[in-house]
Amino acid sequence: MLAVGTLLHVKQMSRSPFEITIALVVPIVQATLAVYLFRSAAGSHRLLDAAVGAGLMGVWSSVLFGSGGAIQNQRWQGTLEMIMIAPRRPVLVLLPVTLATGLTGTYALLATLAWGRLLYGIRLDFVHPFAFVIAAVVCVIALGMFGLLLASTFVLMRNANALANTLEYPIWLVSGMLVPITVLPVWTGPIAAVLPTTWGARALHEATSGGPVWPSVGICLGISLLCLVFGGFSLTYVERRARAAATLALA
Amino acid sequence: MKTLRLLTIGGVIAYRALFNWTRPSVFIGTLFVGPLFQLLFFAYLGRQLQVADDRFYIVGNAVLTATLACVFGGTLAVGNERRYGTLGHVLLSPRSRTVVFLGRALPYAGNGILIAVVTLTAGALLLGLRIPPAALPGLLLAMAVGSLSCAFFGLTLGALGLRFRDVWVISNVAVALLLLLTGVNVPAAALPGWMAAAGRWLPITHAAEAARRLAAGDGLTAALPELGREALVGLGYAVLAALLLKIFETESRRTASLETI
Repeated sequence: MLAVGTLLHVKQMSRSPFEITIALVVPIVQATLAVYLFRSAAGSHRLLDAAVGAGLMGVWSSVLFGSGGAIQNQRWQGTLEMIMIAPRRPVLVLLPVTLATGLTGTYALLATLAWGRLLYGIRLDFVHPFAFVIAAVVCVIALGMFGLLLASTFVLMRNANALANTLEYPIWLVSGMLVPITVLPVWTGPIAAVLPTTWGARALHEATSGGPVWPSVGICLGISLLCLVFGGFSLTYVERRARAAATLALA
Repeated sequence: MKTLRLLTIGGVIAYRALFNWTRPSVFIGTLFVGPLFQLLFFAYLGRQLQVADDRFYIVGNAVLTATLACVFGGTLAVGNERRYGTLGHVLLSPRSRTVVFLGRALPYAGNGILIAVVTLTAGALLLGLRIPPAALPGLLLAMAVGSLSCAFFGLTLGALGLRFRDVWVISNVAVALLLLLTGVNVPAAALPGWMAAAGRWLPITHAAEAARRLAAGDGLTAALPELGREALVGLGYAVLAALLLKIFETESRRTASLETI
């Protein structure tokens, strides 16, 4: 059911001109910005890191706006009630949506790497290429599960996209996708430590430029499983609350 | 006098109508919190890469944050009329539609100034940037010119909404490109020539440069040439928006595609 659901939502997203254009253009612009910034800093040896970071930013944007947007779209189409009254746990119905957003977000990662290679001649010399692939897969799944936790909030909020607008940069920043978390204020450390995005980004950066990849992958997977559990409970709770308050269908 | 009334009061009424559905928390979250984190993201990235100092990123990004309200607002000033089925009523009005729509851009420019001021204040306090008090009026002027220019740019994109269905695509791509091409985050000297040249024809580029000079204590005289260029860019987009609105309105009437969503 998860696989079929994910495939269905990937197909649905691939029919949206908005999703396609944004997925095609925005990651490329972000990658270009990152490449020129890192180049002007005379840090050409870190260009691959910059491309990976920019790609990961794209994956997060896809999950963030995809999770919120998918539910809002169901609201606008009048199908959210149908989904919620399906004889399955809400988590099983919504997880494919958030996994699909993570899956379509991998385009951003691939596109930024291809863009960097073809246009700027960045050599794809990953220190641990196999670990990079595994870390990327884990990262996408982890973000999908994290997206589920967010989605449970989005179900309850009428203006969920506003919350999504607010969360894009903070997660990019605190997770160390492009900016190392060591340059951030100390108080951001505990926040970063509980985010799966931090460990996913760390795993990808370690696979790119060297470091112990597997502990980061393991922690990322562990936190994302916790997100899945909390997301499941949260979704059941907010679904009941939204039914009681009759706010489920309010767009 | 009637035109001035239509330009200002009409715009304000249309802007206020937005608050039938939005809430203060949404307004603050989207227009103040998001842009502040954008500023912090690039300021910390700049610190780490040492491409430029804090002033470059804080002041530049504060001016750029106006794009959020101005580009999306300007775009949706036209796009929402179609979405909510009221475009026909607006275009049936016996008054100048050009004035009606240009008036729509003004509250968004005011909103842009507010966001830029709040973001600059919060960014400067959080990151410890000292701005000379004498520079504040000039900075406000730079933000006002930049926001107005950006609002007309948004309206130009909104005019495309009379021709194309999905204005969200246009506005989202435009905002992403402004981030790259305006030289706010990557110094223009570090960009390829064609990108820097394209940036000079976009809003915010010159306003951000003027604001940086003012924040550095160079005085209004040093910033005036850049402010003049920004005003010219804004004027250019206002004229272009008026032309496109006129052309696309005529075309939409001819092909009966006004309400096509």
